[in-house]
Amino acid sequence: MNFNGSILIVDDEAHIRTFISLLLRHLGVNRIFEAKNGNEALEVYEKERPDLILLDVNMPMMDGIETLRALKRANPDCVVVMLTSLANRQTVDESATHGAANYIRKDAPFEEIGRALAETIDTCFETDAPETKPPPQS
Amino acid sequence: MDDSQPTPSIDLKGRSVLIVDDDRVNLKIIGGILRHEGFEISEASSGEQALEVYAEYRPNLVLLDVMMPGIDGFETCRTLKKTYGETCAPVIFITAKNKADDIVMGFDAGGVDYLTKPFRPKEVLARIRTHLSNQLLLEQLSKANAAKDRFLGMCAHDLRNPLSSIRGLAELMSERAAGSLTDEQMEIVQTIHGASQSMLQLVNELLDVATIEAGHLKLAKEPTKIAELVKRSVHLSGIEAAKKDTLIEMVNRTKNPVIDVDRNKMRQVVDNLINNAVKYSPRGSLITVQINADDSSAGFSVKDNGPGIPDNERHKLFKDYGRLSAQPTGGEKSTGLGLAICRKIVEAHGGTIGADNIPGHGCEFVVRLPRHK
Repeated sequence: MNFNGSILIVDDEAHIRTFISLLLRHLGVNRIFEAKNGNEALEVYEKERPDLILLDVNMPMMDGIETLRALKRANPDCVVVMLTSLANRQTVDESATHGAANYIRKDAPFEEIGRALAETIDTCFETDAPETKPPPQS
Repeated sequence: MDDSQPTPSIDLKGRSVLIVDDDRVNLKIIGGILRHEGFEISEASSGEQALEVYAEYRPNLVLLDVMMPGIDGFETCRTLKKTYGETCAPVIFITAKNKADDIVMGFDAGGVDYLTKPFRPKEVLARIRTHLSNQLLLEQLSKANAAKDRFLGMCAHDLRNPLSSIRGLAELMSERAAGSLTDEQMEIVQTIHGASQSMLQLVNELLDVATIEAGHLKLAKEPTKIAELVKRSVHLSGIEAAKKDTLIEMVNRTKNPVIDVDRNKMRQVVDNLINNAVKYSPRGSLITVQINADDSSAGFSVKDNGPGIPDNERHKLFKDYGRLSAQPTGGEKSTGLGLAICRKIVEAHGGTIGADNIPGHGCEFVVRLPRHK
């Protein structure tokens, strides 16, 4: 996958974060951040300004849609892809209304997850290549 | 308590009975007997009043006289059944009308039982107890069933995520994402992958069944060219089939009919039928997927080279957990839920699914769906 940007994974389940993060590394993404809930996601987002956010739909306390709305308030242009375990039509539609770029079923075979990610990256970063963005100072 | 009376195994104390009779004396006598048994009693002296009292108290059972001024008992019963449908309490008629025709009319009106006057108190009580018990059991059963579906759904949900991580991680490892593996390590990791894959499939199917059983199967139908939908599945399944040297061919002599389907759900049906065909056919088979259409319906069929469906197992084919004696030919797994889910999805679309043996060898599954109007 041709993507030099950074990705934030938001999921309350550690094994999902581990899986997605390993998968991303396997696909050649090097800058990966993790957050285990909505609040943490907002904090990490403010600090690191990742290019892409993978956001779990089902989280306790602040759920995915709420987090999505908060992220969009912080930056209307942020690119968010929802992580779902079920392709729940209603949630998919709702997250699309609130500006999610796409959704990925995290229970899909990993080739499919990779394909969906690549597609999203191709559409969202076609013109403003994130490669040009300087890495965050840490 | 009377010794000859068998102890009821179900506690009916506090269940409520509405007694309807225009004769005050009857109300008093029956009311007294039932109160003594611990039932809650409400009374009405006409059909009209019965409807009002019913609405207010929602009794568990109605004891209904037939001959009353105003609307009679049969009419009252019909109105109750019409208003409250499935949730309506059982109605027992109690009347001096005792001709066979009257009794039939009572059952036609929706009554569950018919008692004739003069009545024997013990008989009245026994019948009331029977119907109250049945009703209580039905209530408990439907609650238990709903709880089972919720439990199943929750379980499946909470099992899915960890399972998909296990599968995904094993998959990544076997792709050498975490460095190279010895042959033995590779075998271990592939075994983990295979086992978690089949478990995930089982959980997914259980979740599907729970969702469908709980009545939460919602279809998002869109006008769809069925041939295109099927073609995609044929293409994707072709890769798996190739591992068994099996070829899937697609035949389409239709004018590409458009039908209203929930694409994800219908894809699940197509995938399932094609995967089954591959699963139960010997290596090196030819699977034929054909698009069909006539004036009122359109759909597809899947023909395999498997052993066919034994006549004595046919009734199990589309039932939950209805696994047949045929074994997958490449060590694949089966939950016995796939075809049951297919049937439920197809029926939710107003369509039909069937299967027939092909003389010679194999069988053909046919799905017909109503045409888009």
